[in-house]
Amino acid sequence: MATEKTDVVIVGVGAAGGILAAELGKAGMKVIGLERGPRLKTADFSPHDELRYFQRQDLRPNVKRQPVTWRPNANVRANPLPILNYGNQAGGGTVHYGTLSWRFHEDDFRARSHTIEKYGASAIPADSSLADWPLTYADLEPFYDRAEYELGVSGKAGNLQGRKIDGGNVFEAPRRREYPLPALLADQSGVLFEAGARKLGYHPFSSPRAILSEPYKDRSGCTYCGFCQSFGCHVGAKSSILVTKLPEADATGNFKLLTGTMCYRVNSDNSGRATGVSYYGPDGSDNTIEAEIVILTPFIYDNTRLLLLSKTEKFPNGLANSSGQVGKHLMAHMMPHVFAAFDDRFVNVYMGPSAQKHSLDDFNADNFDHGGLGFIRGSQVSVGPADLEAGPIGTAISMNPPPGIPKWGAAYRDFLAKYFARYASIVAQTENLAYADQTIDLDPQVRDQWGMQAPRLTYDWRRPNELARVEFLLRKMEELGRAMGATHVWRAPLGPGAPGAHHEGGTRMGNDPKTSVVNRYGQSWDIPNLFVIGSSTFPSMSGFNPTLTIQAVTYMSADAIVNRYKKNPGPLV
Amino acid sequence: MTKHDAARRAFLVRAAVGAGAVAGAGLIPDANAQNSEQHKQTSAPASAHQHSSGSEHGAFFNHDDAATIAAFTERLMPGSPDMPGASEAGVLNYIDLALSGAYADLQDFYRRGLAQLDAYCRKTYNGPFQRLSAAQQDEVIAALEEGKATGFTWPTAMEFFNTIRTHTMEGMFADPLYGGNKDFAGWRLVGFPGAQAMFTPIDLQSKQAFTRAPMVGLQAIASSQTRKG
Repeated sequence: MATEKTDVVIVGVGAAGGILAAELGKAGMKVIGLERGPRLKTADFSPHDELRYFQRQDLRPNVKRQPVTWRPNANVRANPLPILNYGNQAGGGTVHYGTLSWRFHEDDFRARSHTIEKYGASAIPADSSLADWPLTYADLEPFYDRAEYELGVSGKAGNLQGRKIDGGNVFEAPRRREYPLPALLADQSGVLFEAGARKLGYHPFSSPRAILSEPYKDRSGCTYCGFCQSFGCHVGAKSSILVTKLPEADATGNFKLLTGTMCYRVNSDNSGRATGVSYYGPDGSDNTIEAEIVILTPFIYDNTRLLLLSKTEKFPNGLANSSGQVGKHLMAHMMPHVFAAFDDRFVNVYMGPSAQKHSLDDFNADNFDHGGLGFIRGSQVSVGPADLEAGPIGTAISMNPPPGIPKWGAAYRDFLAKYFARYASIVAQTENLAYADQTIDLDPQVRDQWGMQAPRLTYDWRRPNELARVEFLLRKMEELGRAMGATHVWRAPLGPGAPGAHHEGGTRMGNDPKTSVVNRYGQSWDIPNLFVIGSSTFPSMSGFNPTLTIQAVTYMSADAIVNRYKKNPGPLV
Repeated sequence: MTKHDAARRAFLVRAAVGAGAVAGAGLIPDANAQNSEQHKQTSAPASAHQHSSGSEHGAFFNHDDAATIAAFTERLMPGSPDMPGASEAGVLNYIDLALSGAYADLQDFYRRGLAQLDAYCRKTYNGPFQRLSAAQQDEVIAALEEGKATGFTWPTAMEFFNTIRTHTMEGMFADPLYGGNKDFAGWRLVGFPGAQAMFTPIDLQSKQAFTRAPMVGLQAIASSQTRKG
């Protein structure tokens, strides 16, 4: 059993932890990062292998060794989820993610107030815990800018300091300057989507992505090979934490990364102070780190799980949980989609950066009038392959054939043979509302490889507001498919109630210690030297992928820790 | 097999048309294509397990189970003279190797699933799966898919169907390194060029099938990297 001392310990070195490692290290703080997976390098990501990385999820947690269970409601037993969509290595999810890099809209940060102002309080479902953020877009804008420029994001501005620019996202909040890199080239699915959306009067654009469209900061530009979602980038063009912030953290000389380590408890005394963490080493050893500051930045399940597992006499319901809010308000995107297949041409959707390639924002947030629609908030809409990844295994498993064609046999074979290279998928990404009874807690029956209780999700997206939104979007996407000139347009079946992508919530940020776990800087209200940073703190989720906002919030927290907390430790709010 | 496929297609066309303006109706290959395929197939072997090319096994399955999996997967992805199916792609070999390696934790799932399948077939058709006619095999598979096959506890009929279907797709389309997709049979079927290192702006603008570069597998890529040093 080893014990060591440091200024800062970071649990989980991914989208948020990697930034903190570099920024705090640069400020002269001694930082130890705990990472349960390995540290891989660009050379590890060639050649691309769909079976290994997409189908067998090599860059994601093993569902048998690190189970996460799910149940639709509290009356039934939870079963392990078959797929876990987060990272399991240094760099976290940024290693294998689809790289979509959005700034949330101004009204995303005040969705509750905005909805009440425009539609009245009765428009919000009575059981929803939709809440405003304790910060505004304007607060975050400098940090969005920093994240885009430091990491490398490609895109085209649609709103430069209030000036709307056609070809970019005209619904985006005002930005101070252009993206650091021009937008990625459109593939044929993007070209078709662009034309179809224009025909319908919408405002399509090449999705902003953390992929270099040109060489930048001594890194190579994208080769359009198509292996992004689920894969590491073989040329390092994906702006993952592995190739951006970890080298910066290394260069400070103040950062030490411990891979193969699993943090199992945040240690605290009963004076309201965290004293460090305990973790299992790769050899099974039981170790302790004593630190002045403890920062939790794993995927959202482990934030909640660690706090619940670290209960003390002072915090019998979980560390930093005097509010009782730890584990509540779990949110996730649903991704209903429509297939568009073409008899008269190839689309070759497997080319070019995968995931959500070309987008429109006309149906996101409150960018359209929700009056009389029966739901609030919206969804990003984009085009791409069937399961965000475009190889034939993923396509065969995720592209349901249209009604009338079975999933096997000669007719299926002929369908797949004909349309594999002649289809595109139009996908929505819905802003599901927060509900207090959508939760993360500890599974009483299932344990992981370390003997820790598995995170248990209680969640069912099929609420009236969400179902009405999905139906609205499916119709819009069918119209889009037809406007794209597709010969055949059909809906994919909707999944069960399990949470989809981009899980958020569990350690909500807010202005009031009674109703939130952390403040706007991710600092625990109860324990000022404990920070929880990542999408677990998001009070609402928007229809956008969360990573760039996680990173902007992280830069803001790093800035507050370096410039304020370091000089004067204590509550930042 | 041939007649059944044609009959199945005809049924599906009727079903699709009968359902109204269903998007899928037009996706059924046209009648001429069916007829020509039917014509070519009349001289083809009558059932899947007679294809010798896909019967490689030895890592996990015993002989009877291998014959069952070969026949089952060939019904899921049937070959034709124009199109490679599961046997030609070596799907059995893929699953056999996977169950002795990466999917070793599914060995009992397969053993029990195969035993339940065998019991169901003997009870319902008086014979093991691989000896049934193609039409009967399709009935069995449909009964599994719909959860209507009796006598299944664990795995359930639907679980067993879904797993074999998933593994069939993996065997069709995973890199040949893993023992299926023999000679890129699956990639040739759908027109996937493998993991190309790059696509050019001209590739991205093309409305045609990609033919600029040959299909490339993992071992070829790895050895070219080795040569580069």
